[in-house]
Amino acid sequence: MGWAIRFGGISVIIAVFGIFYFIGKEVVPLFRSAEVSAAGASRPAAVAGLVPTVLGEPASAWSGVLGVDEWGGLPFLYDGGSKVVFRRLDDGSQSEQSIASLEGETVTAFSYDPVHRRVALGLEDGRVGSFVVNYEMRYEDGRATTVEASLVEEPWFELTAGEGPVTAVDYGDAGNQRVIVARRGGPENESVSVLRLGIRRSLVGGGRLSVLGAAEITADLGARAEILRASQNGAVVVVACANGEVVYFLADSEGVSKRQVFRPFGGLPPRQMDFLFGGVSLVMTGENGAQEQWSLYRPQEDGERIFGETTTFTALGDGPVTFAASQRNRSFLTGAGRNLSIRYSTSGAVRWQGEVDIEPVAATLDGKSEHFLIAAADGQIRRYELKDPHPEAGWRAFFGRVWYEGGPGPVYQWQSTGGTDDFEPKLSLVPLIFGSLKGTAYALLFSVPIALLAAVFSAAFLPLSVKRVVKPAMEIMSSLPSVVLGFLAGLWLAPLLVDRVPSVLLLLVSLPLTALAVGWAWSRMPITLRNRFEGGREWLVVVPFLVAAGAAAWALGPVVERILFVYQDPVTGRAIGDFRQWWPQATGLKMEQRNSMVLGFMMGFAVIPVIFTIAEDSLSNVPKALTAAAAALGANRWQVVWTVMLPVASAGIFSALMIGFGRAVGETMIMVMATGNTPVTEWNIFSGMRTLSANIAVELPEAAVGSTHYRTLFLGAVVLFAMTFVMNTIAELLRQRLRERNKLV
Amino acid sequence: MQDNSGNSATPFGTTGRSRRGEPWVWLTATGLSIGVTMALGLLLLILFKGGSSFWPRRIDVMEVSQNGAVERIAGYITQQSERRDADGGMHEEVQIFRGNKDLHGEAFRYVDRSEIVSVARPADMLLVQRMEHGPAIVKGVAVSLSDGRIAVGEPGYPAALDRILETGRESRAAVRRIERSEIGAINREMEALERELRAGRVAPEAAAARQAELQAKFETLKAEVDRLRAQAQEYLFEAVTVDGREVAISARNLVHVFPANEAGAGARLGEMVRRIKSFVSEDPREANTDGGVFPAIFGTVVMTLVMSFFVTPFGVMAAIYLREYAKQGLVVRVVRISVNNLAGVPSIVFGVFGLAFFVYYLGGGIDELFYSDRPGPTFGTPGILWASLTLAILTLPVVIVATEEALSAVPRGVREAALACGASKWQTIQRVVLPASLPGILTGVILAMARGAGEVAPLMLVGVVKLAPSLPIDDIAPFIHPERKFMHLGFHIYDLGFQSPDSEAAKPMVYATALLLILVVVSLNLAAILIRNRLKKRFAVSSF
Repeated sequence: MGWAIRFGGISVIIAVFGIFYFIGKEVVPLFRSAEVSAAGASRPAAVAGLVPTVLGEPASAWSGVLGVDEWGGLPFLYDGGSKVVFRRLDDGSQSEQSIASLEGETVTAFSYDPVHRRVALGLEDGRVGSFVVNYEMRYEDGRATTVEASLVEEPWFELTAGEGPVTAVDYGDAGNQRVIVARRGGPENESVSVLRLGIRRSLVGGGRLSVLGAAEITADLGARAEILRASQNGAVVVVACANGEVVYFLADSEGVSKRQVFRPFGGLPPRQMDFLFGGVSLVMTGENGAQEQWSLYRPQEDGERIFGETTTFTALGDGPVTFAASQRNRSFLTGAGRNLSIRYSTSGAVRWQGEVDIEPVAATLDGKSEHFLIAAADGQIRRYELKDPHPEAGWRAFFGRVWYEGGPGPVYQWQSTGGTDDFEPKLSLVPLIFGSLKGTAYALLFSVPIALLAAVFSAAFLPLSVKRVVKPAMEIMSSLPSVVLGFLAGLWLAPLLVDRVPSVLLLLVSLPLTALAVGWAWSRMPITLRNRFEGGREWLVVVPFLVAAGAAAWALGPVVERILFVYQDPVTGRAIGDFRQWWPQATGLKMEQRNSMVLGFMMGFAVIPVIFTIAEDSLSNVPKALTAAAAALGANRWQVVWTVMLPVASAGIFSALMIGFGRAVGETMIMVMATGNTPVTEWNIFSGMRTLSANIAVELPEAAVGSTHYRTLFLGAVVLFAMTFVMNTIAELLRQRLRERNKLV
Repeated sequence: MQDNSGNSATPFGTTGRSRRGEPWVWLTATGLSIGVTMALGLLLLILFKGGSSFWPRRIDVMEVSQNGAVERIAGYITQQSERRDADGGMHEEVQIFRGNKDLHGEAFRYVDRSEIVSVARPADMLLVQRMEHGPAIVKGVAVSLSDGRIAVGEPGYPAALDRILETGRESRAAVRRIERSEIGAINREMEALERELRAGRVAPEAAAARQAELQAKFETLKAEVDRLRAQAQEYLFEAVTVDGREVAISARNLVHVFPANEAGAGARLGEMVRRIKSFVSEDPREANTDGGVFPAIFGTVVMTLVMSFFVTPFGVMAAIYLREYAKQGLVVRVVRISVNNLAGVPSIVFGVFGLAFFVYYLGGGIDELFYSDRPGPTFGTPGILWASLTLAILTLPVVIVATEEALSAVPRGVREAALACGASKWQTIQRVVLPASLPGILTGVILAMARGAGEVAPLMLVGVVKLAPSLPIDDIAPFIHPERKFMHLGFHIYDLGFQSPDSEAAKPMVYATALLLILVVVSLNLAAILIRNRLKKRFAVSSF
């Protein structure tokens, strides 16, 4: 039988440690970098129908755009002709589809928007337009089989300004609001213009895409326009000029207006410039492969959005620049020559870096960012499998300041879910850790004095018979379900206290003063009177005085409020005694109903018994020989406590505080129900917080399994666990040492 | 934790005679007074608030004059608060519960105390409990049954009232029975058939025939339900509100009629008992704000029992190993520190672990092996089994620590006596040590149950829901459904107080539920403490 017990016992202990393993297992993938493996290459078939390109580039090799379907299996190549070549990577087969409206026309400029799979076109005769590549998955018996592609041609628009062929074009598409930016003519008669497009609803229903307005912006540019970009949101146009200036135009219903000129790379012109997913950030590559990200943000609260440099990436090195933005998150594929890397914009992290064996002239990421494809000058296409489920994760994202898109500067922020597809999760754990520490601090601020005072009295002065009742009563207090405490805090105490803050402040002052006063008065009583009473009942005797003082403080609160906390109404100018209004006006901080004060009080119920029990134990276990010796040497009862018991038991008291900390930091239901759950980073006692524990309880049931959000919540649990584990271990070691020491006496 | 029972009294049996430091002694006394007052105050508060939510209140008819218009409101004041005007003046605002949510949209009215012109207490006001829209506060007019209408005051009225209440009860019970068991059985068979068909284990023709048969059966049952409903719909309880609106409550909707102002102390006490009974035995209704909490009680009890079923053997085994078998050294010391530490790990962390390990790893694995033909997850989703197991791990340290203490308290002499009589180590443990430490182990298990019953945070991740359609144990084969989600008293409090669409109406229910939960937890704790105290006495005698 012994072996069974042994086996059972050991396996239980192993199981307990399995907890750490299973939580850790969910967290580890967050810190892995991306993995890339070659998944398939197309045979370098003859590049039929693809003619060497335009734009004045040498016609010795092929260049053009490379796009791919959502599943990464059927890429297409387009290089300015009237045909699009599709290549099926499974079997290397190749097919062509032609664009009817391009028959007999000469395409002189094109660009590619992978989000809509739209190729924007500019013609020799000054027209601009586009076609869209659509993919469709065919299903058979409910199983996906093959992907089929089709082309959709979109209307052509005449550029009214300038003359000569279109030499550069870009198309920004946000559904109803679109914009085309195009350049015409050579160096001496260059003209850049912006077309605003919209869908005009007709009476019959349905709508036609038509030009809402055209504007020439040549005069706004300081030099020749090198790169033109229109963003996905259909409103932002950015032009990089030869003199190193980048000019930002806003196209809205009023027209097109120049908003900002900025100079990346200290004034050197960028070689590459593209928008990232969401159309808010620009990634630019300059000389020597230096790479910077500029994002639209509001420097002032309600000011205008302008571009600012938010991230500087490590330099790419020399060589022709490749760039492809993800259509799922803020990561992108970039490289110089054969050295490619996957980078994540907000954290600036390099997720993967490696060398490929062909020199890419075009690259693209599929819709799910699960593959990337590169095309070489000889028409080869290589496909790589990309495994990067958590690009936004990383030490910096969790614990560092990050400048998120649109924010006024680098911040610690937690905001895990948003309303739109291109929402970028903000996963800093710092505000949550701060919240946990804030909640704990206020809880301890309230409970430590009470618990320690009670422990000292109970250990040193309370008769044993009374202690037998009081200690279990405290233990029962610690077993009160925290959900009940939380609900009382949120629904009963918070509304009660929010109007009586001055009364609470008075209470905090008056109760200890009353106790001291009563004690002083008692000590002045004649010794004959005092001799008649045994010690140990002070805690009952003092109650009526406390009740009286408390009631007085409660009643006096509003009076104090009228005198001290006078609030000046900004509208009427009238002075009103109202703490709720006075606090925000006097300090500029918020005053919320569910705040740290309420929380601290209610957490007391959870924390006081823990600290009390352990501190009381260690005080009671101070060897009697020591206290008796002190008393024999003439110390009075307080002196014995102050000079002998407290110093001897100090380690135990310290460990009690640590365990109290552990209990408070991990408390969940009270935190969920009494704090308002707003992630803030201020110590204001009249505002709430969002703690790690509450955050897990609220968000984990909703988080998708295996997502970054899910794993980040697990990371929160690990942090919480680590905090309590360290505290508890220190406490336990201290207690053991104390026990050893007391044994010797 | 050692007890200082060796010290016969406190260090100083008599009052210190010195004046020095005396105020500080009193300050420490204050700490204890505040601590004890807080604990007692909280218990009393819950006891009072929870208890008073069952006590039937008198109904006042108040005339309220607002902006020149006078309105009559029947109900009772549930809350009063002070509100500050824009100009700094204070107003005493009262919250009146007036019921009749179907007529007014809100069950509560807020008025200034000064706006109440007059208060009367007419004897004929009734508090009517309904299935829908919460209570109504009305005056009775008549009862119309299939054999005529009997007005208030006519001799047959009390009997007719009883009859309509009885009809409603019976019809609801019948409909419930048919919907739950008979229609439920048809639905289950349909689903099973669908699965068989998809797996190709049954011919499509046979399946179609069986399906048609089931459909026909379903139609008949549905017709029966409709008939019962229509019948109960015909019987009406007619009443009039205090502002003159006529209300007709059908037997189906009518639960209970209580003459709130006529009733004497005895009747009110009886009504209180009835309310407590319906609170603990009925299903919740009206988004949990009305009715009872029976499924939550049931869920809490089942979960706690399943949890103790798992935690007791494993906890005891680990403790016996640590105390009796393991070689006492550094490793055991580290393990013991870790176990103690585990008791301090936040409960939500256990919930996170339960979700990752039990639900997704174990549950997902079970689904893959045995339930791959079902469309949705069966065990791979939160449920009562996983909740119980999670809490078992959470409470494991409690049992281990208590058992270890109990084992170490068994006097050495007793063990040595057993060994001297020729017992083997296991025999000694089995026959001598375990029986002697049984009360201590029991204390640990009860404490673990108390802890488990009161925990909510981890349950939110591993299986608790605000409204479970069916209980984890019922009369449908295989009778025990460990994969089902369940309701829990603690989560019920959170959900009612913080997620309810009508949180004011939910308040009495929250307090009542809190009272119930506190009673459960505190009585479990008291039991543990009592057992422990008796145990101490026994060993105090036997150790020498």
